[in-house]
Amino acid sequence: MTIKAISIKEQTSWQYQVRHLVSHSPVIGPLAVFIIIFVLLSLFVDKFFTFRSVTGIINAATLSGVLTVGVTLLMIGGEFDLSVGSMLAVGGYIFGGLAMAGHPWLGAILALLGTGILGAINGLILVKTKIPSFIVTLGTRYFYRGMLWVISSGQMLQTVEKIPAYNLLNGRLDILNDILPGANFRTALIWLLLLVIGFQFVLTRTVFGNHVFAVGGNSGAAIGQGVNVNRVRVTLFVITGVLAGFAGILLFSQFTTVRVASGDGMELSAIASAVVGGTLITGGAGSVWGALVGVLTISMLRTGVVLMQIPFIPADNFEAIVGVTIILAVILNNWLRSRT
Amino acid sequence: MGSNQLLPDKDYLVRMENISKVFGTITALRDVNFGVERAEVRALLGDNGAGKSTLIKILMGVYQPTTGQIYFENKLVNITSPAQARAIGIEAVYQDLALVNLMSISRNFFLGREMTKNLGPITYLDIRKMNEVCKQSLHDIGIEIRSPNERVGSLSGGERQSIAIGRGVYFGAKLLILDEPTSALSVAETRKVLTYIENARERGLGVIFITHNVHHVYMVADSYTIIRHGMNVGTYYKGELSEDDIADLITGDRES
Repeated sequence: MTIKAISIKEQTSWQYQVRHLVSHSPVIGPLAVFIIIFVLLSLFVDKFFTFRSVTGIINAATLSGVLTVGVTLLMIGGEFDLSVGSMLAVGGYIFGGLAMAGHPWLGAILALLGTGILGAINGLILVKTKIPSFIVTLGTRYFYRGMLWVISSGQMLQTVEKIPAYNLLNGRLDILNDILPGANFRTALIWLLLLVIGFQFVLTRTVFGNHVFAVGGNSGAAIGQGVNVNRVRVTLFVITGVLAGFAGILLFSQFTTVRVASGDGMELSAIASAVVGGTLITGGAGSVWGALVGVLTISMLRTGVVLMQIPFIPADNFEAIVGVTIILAVILNNWLRSRT
Repeated sequence: MGSNQLLPDKDYLVRMENISKVFGTITALRDVNFGVERAEVRALLGDNGAGKSTLIKILMGVYQPTTGQIYFENKLVNITSPAQARAIGIEAVYQDLALVNLMSISRNFFLGREMTKNLGPITYLDIRKMNEVCKQSLHDIGIEIRSPNERVGSLSGGERQSIAIGRGVYFGAKLLILDEPTSALSVAETRKVLTYIENARERGLGVIFITHNVHHVYMVADSYTIIRHGMNVGTYYKGELSEDDIADLITGDRES
C-alpha cells in the first residue's frame, strides 16, 4: 500500500513538473514545431536530410538570426523595430566602404557605432513623443534607407578583393567542414551562437533582463517599482541597432557586396521568426533560444519548399507556407501557454 | 467627533495639512487635513471623482499640491516622485499596476530591488537567494505560496494582493496604501486579504484603505475619512458612526 501511494505521488509530481515546464518554458512549443516539420521534411522530401541541405538552412539563418536576436529582445520589452533592414544596409555600407579602403576593423567599429546611434534615435523618438514604436520605426525605416540612397548615390559597393577580416567575420568554417562531408558552415554561425548564449543570459539572469520582461509585461507595474522604463526601452533599441549593423558587416564579409536595397523585408521576417520562436507579440514573454529556433524553422521551410519542386509554384515563393506556419505556431504557443 | 481637523493629541505617522489641488479651473481638493497614525487602518472613503485618488497621488508624489504641507514622521517632506515616496517608506498597492502577470512571484517580489551576485566583472541575478527570501518572508507574514517560480498570472486576485502587500512589508514600508484591494474578490478571498491588512497593522504599519464602498472596509478599519466634492467631510473613529451613516455621508444624503 505504502509503495503504491508513493508511486502515485511521484507520478502526479512528475506530471506536474512536465506541465509546469511546458507552460513555463518559452522554448518548448517552438522546438516541438521545429522537430515536427524537420521530421516530416526528412521523411517526405528527397535530399532534405543531407549535410548540404542542413548547412544551407543554418547558413541562410545566420544573418536573419543576428537581426532576430535584437528584434526578439525588443518585442519582449513590448516594442517593434521595422527599421532593422535599413540599419543592416547602413552597417554594410559603412563597413564595406572602409574595408575596401583598407580599414576593415575601423569600419566594423564605426558600423556598429553608427547603427547604434540610429537605434538610439528610434528609442529617443519613442520615449520623447510617445508615438508607438511601430509607427516611429516605420518612418525611420524609410528615412534611414532614403538617406543611404542619397549618400551613396544609389551605387552598390562591390569588391573582388578578399581580405583576412572577411574570413574571420564570415568565411568558411573549414575546421567543421573537413570533418563533416558535404557540410558548408560559415564562421557567422559561431558569432550567432555566442550572441544567442550571451543575450539569453542577459535576458534571464541579469537585472536588465528582469526589467525588460517587466517593461514589456506591465510597464505601469515596472514604473511603480522604480524601474527606469525609458532607459530600458532606449537601451533595447540601441542593442537592436548594433545587431542590425553587425548583420550588415556579416553580409558584406560573406558576399563582398552591399546594395541600398540590402536587407529590405528582413524586418518582417525577423518579427515572424521571433513570433514562431514563442515571443509574445504583446510583449512580456519570449526567449532568445526560441528566436533561434524560430529563425531555423523559417529557413528550413524555405529549403524544404525549394527541394519539393512543386509544379507551377516558383521555388522562391515559399511565403504562403511561412504565413500558414506563423499562424499555426502562434496558435500552438498560446495553447501551451494557457495550460498552466 | 467628525471634523476636517487633525487631533493635537495624536502622534501621526503622516500628516497632510491644508492640502488643496487645482487643475486649471477645477478645484479637485479644498483645504484637506488628513493624518494616519502608526498601527492604524484608515479607510479613505468617497464616491468616484470625490478627490480621494487625487489626495493619494499627492502623497505618492505623482501630483504636487497647489497649497499645503506633508509631514512624514514629523518631518516636512516634499515628495516629487513615487520612487521618492517609496524611499521614505510609503508603499502603494494598486490592483492592476502592482504586479507583472507574466513574471514569477519572486521576480515580481524583487522587481526594481533585485539581489545580485558578482563573478568577476559580471553581475547576475541571485535567483536561488531571491526565491528563498521571497518564500520565507511571505511565510513570515502568513502568506503561503506553492512555488516562488509560479507565474503571478496564475494566482487568484487575493493571492496577488497579498503578495503585493507582503512585498511592501518586507521592504520596510511604514505606510501602506491599498487602492480598492478587495473590490474584485470573493468573500473568502476578501477575508484573507483583510487578515494580511490586520497583520500589517500588528507590525506597526499605517494602512490607508481606499474604497468607495464602506462595506468593504467597515470591519477592518480603525477610523474613516470621508471625502466629498474635494473636501474632507470628516474623520470618524470606530464606533462613532454606523455603516449606514458613513454610506450616507459618502453620497451626501446626510451632512456631517
